[in-house]
Amino acid sequence: MLRDDEKERYGRQLLISGWDQEKLAGARVVIVGLGGLGSASALYLSAAGVGKLRICDGDKVERSDLNRQILYSESSLGLPKVEEASRRIVGLNPLVSVEKHDVFLDRENAAGLIAGCQVVVDGLDNLESRFILNEEAFKQRIPFVYGAVQGWQGYAGFFHPPRTACLACLMRPDFHTRDRIPVSGVMPGTIGLIQANEIIKWLMGMPPSLLGRLLIYDGTDLSFETIRLEKDPDCPVCSKP
Amino acid sequence: MVIYLKAGGELRAKLKPDVDHYTRRVETEVGKSLAEILTGIGINPSFVAFAFKNGTLKRLDHIPSDGDIITLQPPVSGG
Repeated sequence: MLRDDEKERYGRQLLISGWDQEKLAGARVVIVGLGGLGSASALYLSAAGVGKLRICDGDKVERSDLNRQILYSESSLGLPKVEEASRRIVGLNPLVSVEKHDVFLDRENAAGLIAGCQVVVDGLDNLESRFILNEEAFKQRIPFVYGAVQGWQGYAGFFHPPRTACLACLMRPDFHTRDRIPVSGVMPGTIGLIQANEIIKWLMGMPPSLLGRLLIYDGTDLSFETIRLEKDPDCPVCSKP
Repeated sequence: MVIYLKAGGELRAKLKPDVDHYTRRVETEVGKSLAEILTGIGINPSFVAFAFKNGTLKRLDHIPSDGDIITLQPPVSGG
């Protein structure tokens, strides 16, 4: 049963037919990477009332982050992202429990970072880490909500193999990330919110629209295109038992 | 035969569109794979993360048919 303050806080979304606030309150979601994508998804997942957010990032806030990483402000410069993000999330919604991990994802810590969560949110800024996260999410059979941006382009997808394709079915893990990726600040905001929308639906038992699909958003002409992703029988990740 | 290649993001400049801002008309031989066609027009297939036709993912070993419209997408890695 929701308390009166919860009914008030979530009142507008409780008006939506089929909305299940208690399922959101009982959910545990991990956001790996607290840059532009992670900023948007973290704020809206917490505002929606996702009960437990595990946030992971070993970085500190830099001024060049502030065109897109809306969790932070000038006063955050030089401070650990997880600390600033946690402060902002709890400030927005004190009903959310935040678990902080001031680390960068790698092969050694990936399993522990996502264990016990219902959804893995991709807030990363490089392909190498994404493929590690995709692989670990598959091993633990946790849905991996993919997002990526570059320039005026953004991708989003909801991968839940073996039911669907995975990131490695879409592209092979042999692409490398360059040092400074050009990005319009609006793009990670848009894609991060699409990720959050799909996660909220999934947590409440609704089918995500991007399950086994990829959304391609082009900000130059405001086009949204969705493609079906078939499982690759030769996928180096999810074709294995 | 003729196919139409479209490109997203940073691949557009490499494709050199000639039909509209996104699309290039390519004359090619029947039976060539997408990777071979790309190489033939001076685009290294390694620049392409994935391709799709009619809303479905296609690998670079896909052999297009006359009149196909195929979209090429670059790797996108930021966050």
